Amino acid sequence: MRRILLPALALCLGAPLAAAQSMRPFSTYRQWHGETRVDARLEYTAGALRVAPGGPNELYRMDVLYDGDRYLPVSEFDAGRTGVVLGLRAIGEGGLRVVSKSQLRQTAAVTFSPKSDLALAIALGAVDGDLELGGLRLTDLTLQAGASRATVRFSQPNTTRCRAATFGAGAAELSVLGLGNSRCDRIAFEGGVGRVTLDFGGAWTSSSRVEVKMALGEVALRLPRQVGVRITLDKFLTTFEPQGLVRRGTSYLSPGYDQAARHLDIDVTTAVGGVTATWLE
Amino acid sequence: MPASNRLFAVLALAAVLAPRAAFAAPGLDPTGSRAIELLHGFWSIVSDVSGRAAADGGVQTSHPTPQAISPAPAGEPAVPLDDLSKPTAIESHLRAALRPRDGRVRVTVPGGTARLGDFSIGSNESVPGHLLVVRGTADVYGRLLGNLVTVEGDVVLHPGGVVSGDILTLGGEVRDEGGEIGGEVRSFRSASVLEAPLQAQPAPAPGALEAVVRRAAGVVGVFLTLGVLGFGLVMFGRPNLEVVSDTVSHSFGRAFAAGLLGQMLLLPTFGMLVVGLILSVVGIVLLPFAVVVYALLVIVGVVGGYLAVAHAMGETYTRRRLALGAMIGSPNSYRYLLVGLGGLAAVWMAWSVFGWVPVAGELIRGAAILVTWLLATAGFGAALLSRAGIRENFAGRLIPPEALTDEYLWATPQFGVTAAKRPGSRTPTRGL
Repeated sequence: MRRILLPALALCLGAPLAAAQSMRPFSTYRQWHGETRVDARLEYTAGALRVAPGGPNELYRMDVLYDGDRYLPVSEFDAGRTGVVLGLRAIGEGGLRVVSKSQLRQTAAVTFSPKSDLALAIALGAVDGDLELGGLRLTDLTLQAGASRATVRFSQPNTTRCRAATFGAGAAELSVLGLGNSRCDRIAFEGGVGRVTLDFGGAWTSSSRVEVKMALGEVALRLPRQVGVRITLDKFLTTFEPQGLVRRGTSYLSPGYDQAARHLDIDVTTAVGGVTATWLE
Repeated sequence: MPASNRLFAVLALAAVLAPRAAFAAPGLDPTGSRAIELLHGFWSIVSDVSGRAAADGGVQTSHPTPQAISPAPAGEPAVPLDDLSKPTAIESHLRAALRPRDGRVRVTVPGGTARLGDFSIGSNESVPGHLLVVRGTADVYGRLLGNLVTVEGDVVLHPGGVVSGDILTLGGEVRDEGGEIGGEVRSFRSASVLEAPLQAQPAPAPGALEAVVRRAAGVVGVFLTLGVLGFGLVMFGRPNLEVVSDTVSHSFGRAFAAGLLGQMLLLPTFGMLVVGLILSVVGIVLLPFAVVVYALLVIVGVVGGYLAVAHAMGETYTRRRLALGAMIGSPNSYRYLLVGLGGLAAVWMAWSVFGWVPVAGELIRGAAILVTWLLATAGFGAALLSRAGIRENFAGRLIPPEALTDEYLWATPQFGVTAAKRPGSRTPTRGL
């Protein structure tokens, strides 16, 4: 029993120090040398993540504080296809530790150049994420979230046309704000369990088609008034409040949909849960 | 009594002081190698200090005198710097390579050079190949045609400076003041490359005195914890504790046998419990709770039984002293427990004090483990026999009326009345 008590005491006393020692700061960046396009993949397993547009002289940058016993920083640039993989990968050698969660909180800040076209793929594990993608030259976006709480913002208009934005979530809470600024032709969301908020605010410059599939959970749609909105529902045990929408066949349309210059067509497929639609002022 | 106390004190003092002599440093090395090492270490310190002064004009920094690092001898692993995309792997290689051998650091960088201390590339210079800078700042005014790695040093890229490849700093940062970097920049602001690896530095063995103090502190800590638990048990479960304690006193052999059997059946019972719950399908939901409850019951049984043994020991000892006419203030369960735990702790305290003695120490330790196991087994068995102090069958409390003789009642201390010393040779110890 003495052999248990003494190490336990040592563990209690030494835990803060050990935790402090295992957290490592790591930075990586690459200068911008006139690259017109970058294919970026961001893998982040656990912690807090911020993504934002970066300075004009850097193609990308990642500043991370990570748990050195459990993760490895990833920074791999492929000059052939101008691709980069950034993030943290688990190495699974940490064992069991008894410390508070806040002591081992990993943080990462990632920026990308606003001067190069960006095809961005993001894979999140258990992450608290705040991703500001407005102001970039985003051409493609794929976001897969495991058990994360993430907010994706397009506070400024995307400076180039985006082909597609695809969001996937396992058991997550995902908010995508300002999708009108994303300038994506096609937006898709596929979720398992959780809650998703799709805010279609922003400056609409073209029509867009949105596909939402949700197994179990809540879908909140925030709709813009300046475009014609059509919502087509395929639901099983789902409630829907068609606030300010007019039913036509299996679809719900905003007033003046046919006369609108730009259209937002949303197909929602959901099994159990609720779909709410509110209007942005 | 005073003489024995004095003898014990002398022995204890000797036990505490003797380990210092036993663990004293060995005598002088007849080969004189230690003296040479000392001289070498002293000369290294002098060289380092003079080097710093020369390099910085008297300003004290941690950077050594700039110099080239010689290549490692043949057979030693090299540190390739061609691919810096795995910075932690590079860090591991450098940690091994930069370990001083014979007082010097030697590193082989394939296709490159290694430098110790500050290093700069002039604006008209063009350095081909990779560059490793250890404990120094790399100032780049000119061109480096390769990768750049610094260990415990920064990289300063001045306007017009070019590094065609990647940059990696281990324990430093990159200050880009207008230069050009062809590759990627990776920075660990903290690194442990130049520290000796943990595996190579075994923790120093504690001194004998320190070991004695640590062991004694451990024993005191454990028995204090047991004391606190025991006091709680007396406070909230006194009748049960007394029944288990009496079962130990009156049926020690039976309790020990039951405890031994109980230990052997612990795992099979657990297995049957798990299998039974799984087979019942509905019980699967209860499985996690059942596992936790079972583990708690076993722990409570063993610890409670051990405390009951301590209670029984203390009670027996106290009653003997009372029977001998000693004046004891309050012979109650708290005292019994305290006295019993003191006796049990004495065995381990003997080990903590004399554990450093080569053979006897191990023997005392073995004896302490054996005694503890025996008593814990008996206590566990008593807890089982008495159903956690509910059943009094083996507690010796069912005294037949014919046993309640005048002599019995006369020798039994009643509430608040100390037992009178019995005239004659025998002291009643059983059946009280």
